[in-house]
Amino acid sequence: MNVHYYPGCTLKEKAVNLENSTIASMKILGCDLQEPRGWTCCGAEYPLSEEKIAGLAAPARILRQVEAEGGTKVTTTCAFCYNVLKRTNYALKTDPLKHKRINAFLKDDIAIDHDTKEKTTGFPPYHGNVSVVHLLEFLRDDIGFKEIRARVKRDLSGLNVAAYYGCRLLRPYNEIGMDKPDDPVIFEDFITSLGAQVIDFPFRQECCGSYVSVSRPEAASEASYRILRSAKIEGADVLVLSCPLCYYNLDRQQNLIKEQHMEFTGFPILYFTQLLAWALGENTGSLGLEEHCYNPAPLLESLEKAEVAE
Amino acid sequence: MFEPKIMSFICKWCTYAGADLAGTSRMEYAVNPVNVRVMCSSRIDPQHIFYAFSSGADGVFIGGCHPGDCHYVEGNYKTLRRVFMVKRMMKDFGIDPSRLRLEWISAAEGGRFVTVMNEFTQYIRELGPLDFKTMASIDEDSIHG
Amino acid sequence: MNQNRPKKKIGVFVCHCGINIAGVVDVEKVAQRLSSYEGVDFSVDYVYMCSEPGQKLIEEKIKERQLDSVIIAACSPTLHERTFQGVAQRAGLNPYQVEIANIREQDSWVHSDKDKATAKAARIIKSMVEKVRRNESLEPITVDITRRALVIGGGISGIQAALDIADQGYEVLLVEKDPSIGGHMVQLSETFPTLDCSQCILTPKMVEASRHPNIKILTYHEVDSISGFVGNFKAVIRKKPRYVNEDLCTLCGECEKVCPQVVSDEFNEGLSFRKAIYMPFPQAVPGTYTLDTDSCLGLLPIRCGKCMEVCEPMAINYDDQEELFEEEVGAVVVATGYDLYSLDHLGEFGGQKYPDVVNGLEFERILSASGPTGGVVRRPSDGRIPKNIVFVQCCGSRDPENHNPYCSKICCMYTAKHAMLYKHRVPDGNATVFYIDVRTGGKNFDEFYQRTIEDEEVMYVRGKVSKIFKEGDKLIVWGADTLTGDKVEMEADMVVLAMSMVPAQGAADLFKRLKISTDINGFLAEAHPKLRPVESLSSGFFLAGCAHGPKDIPETVSQASAAASKVGDLFAKEKLFHEPTVVSAEEEFCSGCGICVPVCPYSARSLNRERGVVEVNEVLCEGCGACAAACPSGAAQQRNQTDDQIFSMVKAILGE
Repeated sequence: MNVHYYPGCTLKEKAVNLENSTIASMKILGCDLQEPRGWTCCGAEYPLSEEKIAGLAAPARILRQVEAEGGTKVTTTCAFCYNVLKRTNYALKTDPLKHKRINAFLKDDIAIDHDTKEKTTGFPPYHGNVSVVHLLEFLRDDIGFKEIRARVKRDLSGLNVAAYYGCRLLRPYNEIGMDKPDDPVIFEDFITSLGAQVIDFPFRQECCGSYVSVSRPEAASEASYRILRSAKIEGADVLVLSCPLCYYNLDRQQNLIKEQHMEFTGFPILYFTQLLAWALGENTGSLGLEEHCYNPAPLLESLEKAEVAE
Repeated sequence: MFEPKIMSFICKWCTYAGADLAGTSRMEYAVNPVNVRVMCSSRIDPQHIFYAFSSGADGVFIGGCHPGDCHYVEGNYKTLRRVFMVKRMMKDFGIDPSRLRLEWISAAEGGRFVTVMNEFTQYIRELGPLDFKTMASIDEDSIHG
Repeated sequence: MNQNRPKKKIGVFVCHCGINIAGVVDVEKVAQRLSSYEGVDFSVDYVYMCSEPGQKLIEEKIKERQLDSVIIAACSPTLHERTFQGVAQRAGLNPYQVEIANIREQDSWVHSDKDKATAKAARIIKSMVEKVRRNESLEPITVDITRRALVIGGGISGIQAALDIADQGYEVLLVEKDPSIGGHMVQLSETFPTLDCSQCILTPKMVEASRHPNIKILTYHEVDSISGFVGNFKAVIRKKPRYVNEDLCTLCGECEKVCPQVVSDEFNEGLSFRKAIYMPFPQAVPGTYTLDTDSCLGLLPIRCGKCMEVCEPMAINYDDQEELFEEEVGAVVVATGYDLYSLDHLGEFGGQKYPDVVNGLEFERILSASGPTGGVVRRPSDGRIPKNIVFVQCCGSRDPENHNPYCSKICCMYTAKHAMLYKHRVPDGNATVFYIDVRTGGKNFDEFYQRTIEDEEVMYVRGKVSKIFKEGDKLIVWGADTLTGDKVEMEADMVVLAMSMVPAQGAADLFKRLKISTDINGFLAEAHPKLRPVESLSSGFFLAGCAHGPKDIPETVSQASAAASKVGDLFAKEKLFHEPTVVSAEEEFCSGCGICVPVCPYSARSLNRERGVVEVNEVLCEGCGACAAACPSGAAQQRNQTDDQIFSMVKAILGE
């Protein structure tokens, strides 16, 4: 199996552990991830510029490149990238003015091959037809949760996992449409397919603080604290998520949270692909867990049942 | 100055009432269209449309109720389908299909009736006369080859 | 087709309408021009045709000159067509020989160029002359009326309508899908603004209906389909098997004691349980048990049979079958009521997850003395008495983006009532109401609401609630106070949501089968929002109660009585008159192709295969003409709007 894969900039720098665990788990599941050539940053915030059209040129270009390489689908794990790419498609399909102007930008595009320095021009227009799927959707629809269950090598039944969606995966509903925004199930179904215990908690779609952590870190950390507290109260051992910014607020800012809340002793966070890779047999050493502010490795290693059957 | 002849067929329940509303509101519009009231726009037969063109109409207008509002449940949907067919036939006959106009105008849309009448009249004025007689005339010599 | 031009003597009467027409159109010139038009025997202008002298003029001239048809060139036919038809009848002329040429609303009022307006007036009148020349003299089609009414729905609206129609002396069939009549009103504890006990005021009406000689109550029945037309409906009704003979059941309750199946009790909104054989509530009408086969262990084969064993009166019969039967009625009142918007839609409030987050009807059952808690306010989860209770208004209503756009009308009042009753029973409790507006328009409503704030000290917070979730034992409510601009986070032991009213479950299906129109929210559409609020556009169908839209009990009762009055109007007529401008099927020209048959939305046409021609039920034909346009041979012609007439009108308009 082969699918186009858009990592996004963050996965190559700050969220290397997310990318590595993604690639590792997909390899085990028999899927090759193909990055579109010459991809750029997606813009990260939809839409990036005031003009609201120029900012869509970059993501449109990425999708066009996927199409030019014969791909009909592209998957991504970064929730921001997913949100931007999917909404770019929606804009192209529903707004004739945006469609016209973005394709005017793309028409002048010259793609230069990094290795051969060969220039390519004259791309056909892009109409928004490349399907953008989050890796969770890909796992559910293209690989199948049943298949994953069959490949899981560890017994995770003693692990209580809370799924944290954040905002980008689900909203705005009419443009994203991955699952019901107020009562989604896809992440929980994924956790069940790994054999772990699902913990439902009321803060699973509340904002982690997002960009506010740059300008007012205490406000963001307060928001993140509430999420972690709720997950803990409901009995979760670990929180899984999909977004590098959420990860930053919920994990890397835990020292700031401790300053504000004395009773907070830290809480383990995992990217869902790290949990997936581990469930499929990878050992804790290869997941990049040492980069976490709160290292989840001791928790995982303490689960006796979860030792890989040799 | 060419003044187009516009034949207008409007349904009693919606468009006719809308035209009356334009009247009670004293709105002014082009004098060219003359209305024939039918109970439902679905009464209009393609024959009637072609008869109008062949009798000197430069444009034909049909006014019915908005989809979902037809007093007779689905008459306007039938009208819509028939108009699509008639336009294709008009093309075959060499009559510009845009000379036939179908609009949904409700009893509350007096203003819209006025706008449409003015617009359509101006459109046909710019398009020019149909001159059906010349179009339909047969060169007798051409018959004999 | 028919090229003969009948030799009629036509009179043309052109009205000045003061200066309304004459100010723009040269009416004298027009009258003069028409006098030389083919077939016009007499043409005159007059200042006010609709006035007494004007009408007299027309009447005289018809008699004097033996006119066969008349054209009145004046205002829109919607105003005075009837008037002038009356004049013609008085002069001994068939009213269908009168046509109106609209030279005011569609000529003099919308054009300013006098010459052009005058020329247009002449064209319009000529087209009507051409039409009336070919008009047949028609008589209205008369139809008999079955003076029997069908009321669908046995809630307060259905019961009231049935009582009012029955009191007028007509037979009524009251069909209700549940085992008892009473609807939602019988579930309520007290009703605003009087705090009357709901069951106390409703049960007398229920009993009256059951005892009324003119009312036949059919509970556990559903209406399958209705065919026919106003005054002559045939309703197919489905009797669901109850397995208990209502006449023999003595309500001893022995069957209930031995039944092993325990299921959720719908009457108590799932807050308690009932057996598979049950009576929905003690005052049920008819007073009988019902065996619910969905929860019974099974009858085919009989898996249990305990209830039948203990039934002394031998009222239980496992061989009961579903029955379909037909009833003839002349009018139908649709009173199917409402249900509440499901909590499933409000994921931000936890959906159905939290047992202590309840809707209005559940809270009514908790408040009710005959309810699962005996009238003590207790939380469903642990039975504790809540000390902090939060009420949230507008749940799922007034929300065009996500839920229902309309206002559910009764919630402001019943929330105030709920808060008041809570405070009566838990005087040391705290009640908070989150609202957007408080709408208390009815009689004594606002005074009631003011008492809630002033006497009961209920706290009203203006703001929406964004999230409700559970933390440990308590519910956390996040909202806003828009008057102070603050975010509000409060703890509550229980939350009551005022969920939006929606049309009753299953009603959408029924309306589709009956072919009566609804609005975009699924509520029944009235014929005119202001002037005809209790009639449907489908002739013979009347609306009452919440099936038409959210409303409270006083309004519901008013509307039910109004619908009954309209039914009385219908039944008071000797016969019904049906417009004769129907579409024929001329046998001479009909080839039996059958194209016209499916075109008719009223199923008025049918193909007689033996004779090879189409037959028309003129009573069903509404005269739209869609079939006439579809007929390839011209056998289908609309009376007084034939193809011939349309052609000649077109020619008259476009000519010269």
